[in-house]
Amino acid sequence: MKMNTSHEREKAFRTLALCAVLFAPTAGMAGDAQDRAADISRGAQTWVNNCARCHNPRDPKEFRDDLWKPITYHMRVRAGLTGQQTRDVLKFLQESN
Amino acid sequence: MQQQMRQLQQQIQNQKQTADEVDTLEEKVAEVEGRQDEWLSDSIVHLAGYGEFNYADREDADGSFGDFLFAPIFHYQYKDLMMLESELEITVNDAGETETALEYLTLDLFLNDYMTLVGGRFLSPIGQFRQNLHPSWINKLPTAPPGFGHDGAAPISETGLQLRGGVPLGRGMFANYAVYVGNGPEILAEAHGEAGETDFEFELDGIEAEGMNADEDGEKVFGGRLGLLPFPGLEIGISGATGKATVTELEHVDIESGFLGGTEEDAEAALSGEPDRDYDVFGVDFAWQWRGLDLRGEYVKSEIGSEAGSVAADGAEWESWYTQAAYKFTPTKLEGVLRYTDFDAPHASSEQEQWMLGLNYLFASNVIAKLAYEFNDGQSGAVTDEDAFRAQLAYGF
Repeated sequence: MKMNTSHEREKAFRTLALCAVLFAPTAGMAGDAQDRAADISRGAQTWVNNCARCHNPRDPKEFRDDLWKPITYHMRVRAGLTGQQTRDVLKFLQESN
Repeated sequence: MQQQMRQLQQQIQNQKQTADEVDTLEEKVAEVEGRQDEWLSDSIVHLAGYGEFNYADREDADGSFGDFLFAPIFHYQYKDLMMLESELEITVNDAGETETALEYLTLDLFLNDYMTLVGGRFLSPIGQFRQNLHPSWINKLPTAPPGFGHDGAAPISETGLQLRGGVPLGRGMFANYAVYVGNGPEILAEAHGEAGETDFEFELDGIEAEGMNADEDGEKVFGGRLGLLPFPGLEIGISGATGKATVTELEHVDIESGFLGGTEEDAEAALSGEPDRDYDVFGVDFAWQWRGLDLRGEYVKSEIGSEAGSVAADGAEWESWYTQAAYKFTPTKLEGVLRYTDFDAPHASSEQEQWMLGLNYLFASNVIAKLAYEFNDGQSGAVTDEDAFRAQLAYGF
């Protein structure tokens, strides 16, 4: 489909945005049950697979348990992690420091 | 008999002392546990950020220390529901004055495991460099790739609403997404008054895509990015934005002696009633890590459409791409980096082709010393054509 006008492009983006809003939670729940308990081994794997996508991995011993929480939630937003991945990584970091 | 009685009394006394000591110890343990619980409140305050210190020696200038940057990042979190994030950038300019800028300020509402609603001034989700790689302890070279810094091809930030998150796709695959609506950028123009002429000549100069606090044209910009992670270590992203933008400001006014068309104020007055015009951005990016190798690249193009009713009728586009390879020479703490960038802009003085070679020493994962050399090819005589040696010490905390 060739988009001739800016109006059509805006319409396409709005449609995409709407699809993302509707699709994201449904697709996620289909692949993974929500609110599973945090798991340290899953967290270690997620930490290995994701942190180095952008930066050198940080040592779990660098921060106290309570400080890791806002850090992992910050990274949830930055890296596009799911809530479950965030809880798993937090568990791993808190158990490893 | 009396001696046995004394021994028994002594044992009883010792046991009583031991019991008292245990009671005291238990009280102390409870007290310490209570103190630990004090850290586990519903609200958490955390200070993160980074700082950097630079030395630059350009081909046609004396080397100098400078470009200090202190970038504190504040996190205020309430339960698993809400987080306020804000990054400041505090620098010292050439005159020695301190300048402060608000890089971003967002309220992040965690709606569910897969969606976070972000409101405020946020880093642009177009591509990866601005939203994920720009902090100096993460960026493997002392500078941003040409076109990915301020006044480049890639948007810096946006003010509006954003929905973002991650989704598991099964079989180890993941996707992440971001969609947003925002005020959009404003367009900068320049005016030239030529000797003997009666009218200014205007042309587009740049896009100010830095989280504008107002929407001058009343037309919103819609955009987003979709990232796919088919297997651990590889991410491929596609991003774009579309909307309207308006010429709101003159970056330069150049009036030759003998120009008959008026003053600088007249040039600025000509901008009143400027129409909105098309604004489009497209980007693709990838990142791949394998053992000690980090390979990544990014392409972005920002385009302003033509508009007959504007003082600067012709459209313009800014385009840049880079690819970067970094390799950690384990078990040493050394890391080699090579980056190539090609930035095309409407003005020849801004265009630049750059090779950058760097060697880093990682004192720790977040404390990095960088040495780098830029081989630049730009307009002859322009700063973009000068090669440069750079050194930087960066610390992320």
